[in-house]
Amino acid sequence: MAEVQNSNPTILNVADLPTRSRSTKKSGDYDYTSGIFAAVPNPADFLSSDSEDDDLLEEPIDEQEIFDLIKLISDPEHPLSLGELAVVSLPDISIKPTLPNVPNSPLQTVTVLITPTITHCSLATVIGLGVRVRLEQSLPPRFRMDVRIKEGTHSTGDEVNKQLGDKERVAAALENGALMQVIAKMMETCR
Amino acid sequence: MAQTNSHLTLLSDLTPPSLERTWLTSPHPTLPIVATCSSDKTVRIYSLTNFKLLSTITGGHKRSVRTAAWKPHISGESVLATGSFDATVGIWRRWDNYGATNTTEENHTNLTEGADDADTEDEEWRFAVLLDGHDSEVKSVSWSPSGMLLATCARDKSIWIWEDLDDGDNNFETVAVMQEHGGDVKCVSWHPVEECLASAGYDDTIRLWREDLDDWGQVACIKGHAGTVWFLDWEGVDTTPASAAGAVSADLQRQWCEQVSLSGPRLVSCSDDRTARIWRRVPKESVSGTALSSAATGIPSIIRPTGTDENWEEDACLPHAHELAIYSVAWSRRTGLIASVGADGRIVLYEERFVEGGPSTDAGADAGADAGADAMDTTDDAAPVQSSSLRTEWSIVAVVDGAHGIYEINHAAWAKRADRGSESTSTSTSPNEEEVLVTTADDGSVKVWSFQR
Repeated sequence: MAEVQNSNPTILNVADLPTRSRSTKKSGDYDYTSGIFAAVPNPADFLSSDSEDDDLLEEPIDEQEIFDLIKLISDPEHPLSLGELAVVSLPDISIKPTLPNVPNSPLQTVTVLITPTITHCSLATVIGLGVRVRLEQSLPPRFRMDVRIKEGTHSTGDEVNKQLGDKERVAAALENGALMQVIAKMMETCR
Repeated sequence: MAQTNSHLTLLSDLTPPSLERTWLTSPHPTLPIVATCSSDKTVRIYSLTNFKLLSTITGGHKRSVRTAAWKPHISGESVLATGSFDATVGIWRRWDNYGATNTTEENHTNLTEGADDADTEDEEWRFAVLLDGHDSEVKSVSWSPSGMLLATCARDKSIWIWEDLDDGDNNFETVAVMQEHGGDVKCVSWHPVEECLASAGYDDTIRLWREDLDDWGQVACIKGHAGTVWFLDWEGVDTTPASAAGAVSADLQRQWCEQVSLSGPRLVSCSDDRTARIWRRVPKESVSGTALSSAATGIPSIIRPTGTDENWEEDACLPHAHELAIYSVAWSRRTGLIASVGADGRIVLYEERFVEGGPSTDAGADAGADAGADAMDTTDDAAPVQSSSLRTEWSIVAVVDGAHGIYEINHAAWAKRADRGSESTSTSTSPNEEEVLVTTADDGSVKVWSFQR
């Protein structure tokens, strides 16, 4: 990154980010106080999605779980996570049936609204792509990703959203070595 | 809405499937085979007779193969053009009688060096030439009706037209490069009989191109979609809408057909905006002021005389049936049915029917109308003042939810049915051959469907 665009971003404390115990509790059963991972200082120690693949297929997936999947992605220009920078936040994640009119359809749409730290951040597309790639690699294929810039938080939000929503462009980006290096770097802190 | 007695039945999967995303399946113009493009950088050739893999074309592309098209009007040999995310277009050849008779050395002399490593397993497919020119991912390729021209398009916003010199040396010449699109060009598709190219893409527009005095130029720009236009397909030249037997008078039908023949084949498009729309060229005779047509296309006519501009208008918007982006539409040149598929995993079939009288939405009414010429006199009170009030209406005749399970469907195409069950299940009274619908999905699966009434 040639030039840091936002040299003084607001930073949240990792310990203050919403979390819950990953015990055998049923999903939706939130526990913000006794989460054992909230006290762990090193983000790299967080559970990776890999060890949970089986659980992901079995248990219903909720917003907290989506947040946990993406909050540790690194910002491409700061040594901080998207969660710490409040680029992603729990209230801006929603899961809805993709086809509400089709009974028993397993398809669900995960919507993640991204709030760039500054309204002209040129890295918004890369951040969005990182979030989308992270979710596509972690969630079962019955999920449809809808990753977009939160309305009014970016000067070219519509343009970025169109790119992020373009399946063909995203697929091609995944085969672009240079771009995937950047994405892989952002993901390092997830594992 | 959907007729309960019409349904789409799964005949078979094409096996074995690709293990990665498949983008498109192109049926051969004459042989019962299809070519499926995969993200695993290969093209798979399957039989529509037994639904089995015949051969795999490998080694030509360094990234996903996105698109493929068979060259029409050649005999004795099959020629396939492939487009890849590696920005190149490959041309592949195979003798149709391969294995039946001994292929000679004829035409083998110009194999591109270095391509031979691909031929170890499937030596019958010969890598002929790589067309280099695009700067980024190639999204679509299409052969002109004569097979002489190949159109290709890419994320670099350009459309290239190549001429197949057919000189035995696999030489292609660049005829034109058009760069008017404001974003990725997602699809190119040639008119079924004329040298007129349609294109569509990321800038939400559909554009039409013709050659005028040795120069290819845009003749129309259609702005009717509110999102990326993913795919285009043309109507056949001879299809007529279905009508309940005798419900519409022969005279009116003839009038309708005359009107349609003035416009020529229509174009169907599908988009991220979840709609599929049909476009019709306004016949020149009915556009008296040429300035008017120029204004309608929104293209300043500085370079080109307004005489070449065409005015295209929306003929119909197909009934809303998809909840997510529609990635592909296929207009059957045999039956006139349109199929659409998309990210919601749904296949929808639409049929065009004659509707007599006013803007009634009750499509079922025609079923009860009297047979023969009497129908002309039984138009109801709501009939508009216009004497020839015949129009058509598109209705949904079949919907399959979750056609490829939870996966998105990227492409649909009609093909001639070739498996053994074709005779027994055919109940069609039309002289048309029975067709199958071939759908291609994200999990690598390709399915073959038959439509029954």
